[in-house]
Formats: sequence, structure tokens, C-alpha cells
Amino acid sequence: MKRQVCIGSLLWLLLITVSHIHLNVGWDQLKQKSRVFFGLDRPELIVGFLPVT
Amino acid sequence: MTKHSETGSFFRSQKFTDWPTVTEALNAKEIGAAFILAPLAMELASKAANIRIVYLGHRDGTAIVVRTDSDIRDFADLRGKIVAIPMRYANQNLLMHKMMKEWGMPYDSIDLRELPPPDHPTALYEGSIDGYIVGEPFAAKAQVDGFGRVLYYSKDIWKDFISCVLVVRQDLIEEQRDLIQELVDGIAKSGKWLDESQAHRMDAAEMAAEHYYFQDPELLKFVLSKPVDRVKYTQLAPLKDDFDEIMELAVEIGVLSGPVAFEDYVDDSFVRPLEDIDWNMNRLPRSDAGDEENDR
Repeated sequence: MKRQVCIGSLLWLLLITVSHIHLNVGWDQLKQKSRVFFGLDRPELIVGFLPVT
Repeated sequence: MTKHSETGSFFRSQKFTDWPTVTEALNAKEIGAAFILAPLAMELASKAANIRIVYLGHRDGTAIVVRTDSDIRDFADLRGKIVAIPMRYANQNLLMHKMMKEWGMPYDSIDLRELPPPDHPTALYEGSIDGYIVGEPFAAKAQVDGFGRVLYYSKDIWKDFISCVLVVRQDLIEEQRDLIQELVDGIAKSGKWLDESQAHRMDAAEMAAEHYYFQDPELLKFVLSKPVDRVKYTQLAPLKDDFDEIMELAVEIGVLSGPVAFEDYVDDSFVRPLEDIDWNMNRLPRSDAGDEENDR
């Protein structure tokens, strides 16, 4: 019973995490951030502008 | 703006055509920073607290333009006329109200109409408006095309006028301070480089016209030289007195719903003296500019 609760909790945690990444973060964003974190990519900042001073 | 800095960080510019889309992109975290109108930035920061003004884009660079053949000779002649403004949340709107106050005119004595900046010269040419107030290069556009003349430069009626400011998402300020510092340092040094010599300005006009603004280089050269102090790219630190003046006027005319504390919308911790910034000024940005730009 204890084992089933643990596995159930882990699965639930995994489901919530995957859903959060999918709905709120985005897989591309996670991939990009991970690459920057592990030093595989350079940090990037997108700056918006209108062609007017 | 450079595409990447010397330390390897990428700074990619993304061109927008209207202010609401920029703010939506900021909110959706599609972009990390943006140059937007000062009162708009104050409104957004005070409401959502997810962005902060960290630096200015420039000083001055706005003008009130009327038709060359019009009989409008001073501000009082604008009474009863239709004048286009870029947006309600534009400092140009505040400047018009400031002028009306100074000239003893009621706030409803000029018919102010919101119009996207690129449409201002065309509307003046067609006669649907009597004048417009906008940032460059759209003020100069009517001049260069021969049907408009400048009634007032902002530099002559509001000292060190602020139009666009650099805003950055709060989460990036907290998580990527080094990256934001690089961006602010880069803008500071680029501004110094621009204001150092006329040759630099002409070089910048060509580069910006080709890679960023997609406008006639001659128009941008005109903006950066006639007169030379039409737009300034130094003194870009956000100062409390300047913003308090904007905030008080914005509250008075109802653009802001209430007073906002300077500390609630500005983070000036990235401002450093120019001499403390280590950046190779001799490297022209032209060599690697713009081939990955996106429009929307």
C-alpha cells in the first residue's frame, strides 16, 4: 500500500511538472534555458522597438 | 543596437509596428526588454509591477510639425485645430498639455487625435489634420518631402525631453543582472559614440536605415544632423526629477489614475559612469548587424 502511494505521488508530480512545462513554460524555452545554464549556448535577450525615437 | 556583445551574449532586436503589441509581447515573455513610451511604461509598471524602466533611449527627438503653407506661426495658432499625437500614453500628449497650460489655453482648446506615428506625415499631407507631434524620423519626413515645417522642436520647449525608455522584465532583472548590465552599458557607450562626432552619426544613420528602421538613409541623416542637437543620445540615466514632472502632469490630465512612486517603476541600479564601462568603441556595429532581424 505504502509503495503504491509513493508511486502514485511520483506519477502525479511528474504529470503536474510536465503539464506546467507544456502549458506555462514551453519546451523550446526549457531547452534554451537548459543550454544556457549548462554553458552550451550564450544568453540571449530580445529587445523590442518601434522605428520611431 | 548590436546583435551580440563582445562577451558573447546575444542582443537581438525585434521591430514592432504598434505599442499594444510590444506590451503584449513583454507580458507574454516573448521579449525581455523594449523601448516604449515613458508614460506607457509608468502605467504598465504601476499596474502589473512586472517591468522596470532601467535607462532612456534618447533625449529630445520630437517636434510639432505643421504644413509649410499654413498660417500657424506659434502655439496659440493651434487653438481649434486638429493635432495628431502618437498615443494617449505618449509624452508628446503630455507636452501638448504642458504647452496649453503655459500658453493659458484650456486643455480642450486643441483637438488631439491618436494616430500611429508612420501615419502622421500622410495625414498632414492629405489635410485631415492641421499638425502633428511625433518622434523622429516622422517629424522630419514632412520636412524632407517639402510639405511640412517644424513649429517647435521639443528641445526648445521641454528641456531634455524624454520620449522612449528602455524597460526590462522584472524577472530578468532579478535572474540575469549581468545580461541587463551589458545591454545598458552597450546603449550608454553607443550613445556616447553617436554624440562624439558627426561622422559617427552619418555612419549610424546608414546602418540603422538598412538593418533596423528600413527607411531612407538620407532621412535618418537629416534627423541626426539638422540641427545636430535635434536628438541626443547622452544623459540617458533615468532621473527622479524628470519622471516626477512627467508623472505629475500625467496625473493632472488623467493619463495616470494616481501618483506613482519613482522607485515603483524605475530601477536605476544599472546606470554607471561612462568612464567605468569597458567596451571597445572602435569596433563598428556595422560589421555584424541585423541579418537575423525579425519584423512583426
